[in-house]
Amino acid sequence: MKRYLTLTRAGVLEALQFRLSMLIMVAGNLLYLIVVYFLWKSIYASAGTEIVNGMTFTDTLIYLVLATALFNFMEMYTVWEIGRNIQTGKIVLDLLKPMDYRRYLFWSFSGSFVTQFFFTFLPTFIVVCAVTKGAIPMGINMLYFAVSVVMAVMINYSVDFIVGTICLYTESIWGVNIMKQVVVLLLSGATVPIAFFPEPLKTVVYYLPFQSIYNAPLTLLLNSGQVLETLGIQLFWCAFMTIISRLFWRVSLRQITVNGG
Amino acid sequence: MKKIGFYLRIYRKILAQDLKSKMSYRADFIISTIGMIFTNIAGFVSFWILFKNFPSIDGWGYYEILFLYGFSLISLTPVQCLFDNNWSLRNYVYSGDFIKYCFRPINLFFYYQSEVFDVKGLGQLAFGVGTLVYSWIKLGLGFSPLMLLKVIVFLVTASLVMIALQNAAAATCFWIVNSFYILDLTLKFKDYAKYPVTIFSPLFRFIFTFLMPIAFIAYYPSLVILRPDAVPLLSWLSPVFGLAFFYLSYKLWMFGAMKYSGTGS
Repeated sequence: MKRYLTLTRAGVLEALQFRLSMLIMVAGNLLYLIVVYFLWKSIYASAGTEIVNGMTFTDTLIYLVLATALFNFMEMYTVWEIGRNIQTGKIVLDLLKPMDYRRYLFWSFSGSFVTQFFFTFLPTFIVVCAVTKGAIPMGINMLYFAVSVVMAVMINYSVDFIVGTICLYTESIWGVNIMKQVVVLLLSGATVPIAFFPEPLKTVVYYLPFQSIYNAPLTLLLNSGQVLETLGIQLFWCAFMTIISRLFWRVSLRQITVNGG
Repeated sequence: MKKIGFYLRIYRKILAQDLKSKMSYRADFIISTIGMIFTNIAGFVSFWILFKNFPSIDGWGYYEILFLYGFSLISLTPVQCLFDNNWSLRNYVYSGDFIKYCFRPINLFFYYQSEVFDVKGLGQLAFGVGTLVYSWIKLGLGFSPLMLLKVIVFLVTASLVMIALQNAAAATCFWIVNSFYILDLTLKFKDYAKYPVTIFSPLFRFIFTFLMPIAFIAYYPSLVILRPDAVPLLSWLSPVFGLAFFYLSYKLWMFGAMKYSGTGS
């Protein structure tokens, strides 16, 4: 465990070197929050009713803003890292390390969880609480939310890792990464809440792993989901995606061609 | 005039080299183009879902918003295709390689930007034109050569605004080195160019019109076609603003570049 935490600490220290970037990110996040606020306010104003698909304006606002905060929190640029490591040949050195590559990569990014939590997630959360005047229920749901986020992080990492592994074959990073990002953000409900999806699409989305990344923790936070069912589905995807990503990586490792390095 | 011919000739040569090197990564080119189209389809789908639940946004119907979306996609194409090297600027500045651009007897800004032509932007252009034409027909706007001329002029000047935003964002790296977050932020905000600026409160309307002028990417210029009876003065002025913003960003970029002293290696 100690060796993993050393990687976390290094990540935190590295992030703290770029204080200005941090500041810009916090400011940018707040500006983004304002844009989302106005956009949905006018959307709800033209709806004529208070509640659409079981979600009020406040619910939608909390959902979307925290989805963005979660996105920043979870984005580890795994695909870029794997892709770049393949291109530069650094991956050979990482593979020689006395640590499983998948695990090494995760923990070397874990420092960003700590910094992102304090610099983007927490400020956003507090602002949302203030703006909505405490519309987020505070109770046992916070615990569910925390558990759910941990699993979401793991599912997200597995998805990223699978997509990163695809880079071994394609040698294209930007294209593969953007496809993943678009699919995940849309189908996980981060752009438009899944409650708004029209019927056939909604059912399809519920059978995919992506909704476990953003939709699951956020519905639990807003007290509008079946707790056990949601967590169970998440647990299933967590295990399933981890196994798939490990197997895929093991098979693909034989594919690596490093130019020079 | 002779000078423009000279620059065009150089541009053609640099472009040919760039395309040749890109073609050696054919798989990357195809995947990136598909990825670009994916992004645009996702934007389309999220509108579609939105309008399944809500009749309009601030008095703007489905096809009108689609018009804005198509318009913004087209006006964002030049920045994607011609100015993509801005994204690498921070790496060049950081590593010191930027100095190589300073020793050429041609305009520094031109030479730097000409080095990369991003082909995948063309997929976005095709999608944007398709969306614009589709919503144009559905709205029954009619057609006249004058309208076509207006659309083209306003598309060109609208694209200057986005180019200006990106130039300015990229140029910050001359002062703070890592400009990635600022660039990423402008990229995120351009996604909101496709909504009418009237949804914001007066303060933010002012910010998005004059300080971070994303309203000029689609909203103001589109009014000329969409609401020809009530075109605000700002719409007619948008070409002037486009040119002014572009000129300012160019000056900022060059000012930063002139200040650049290399890394000593």
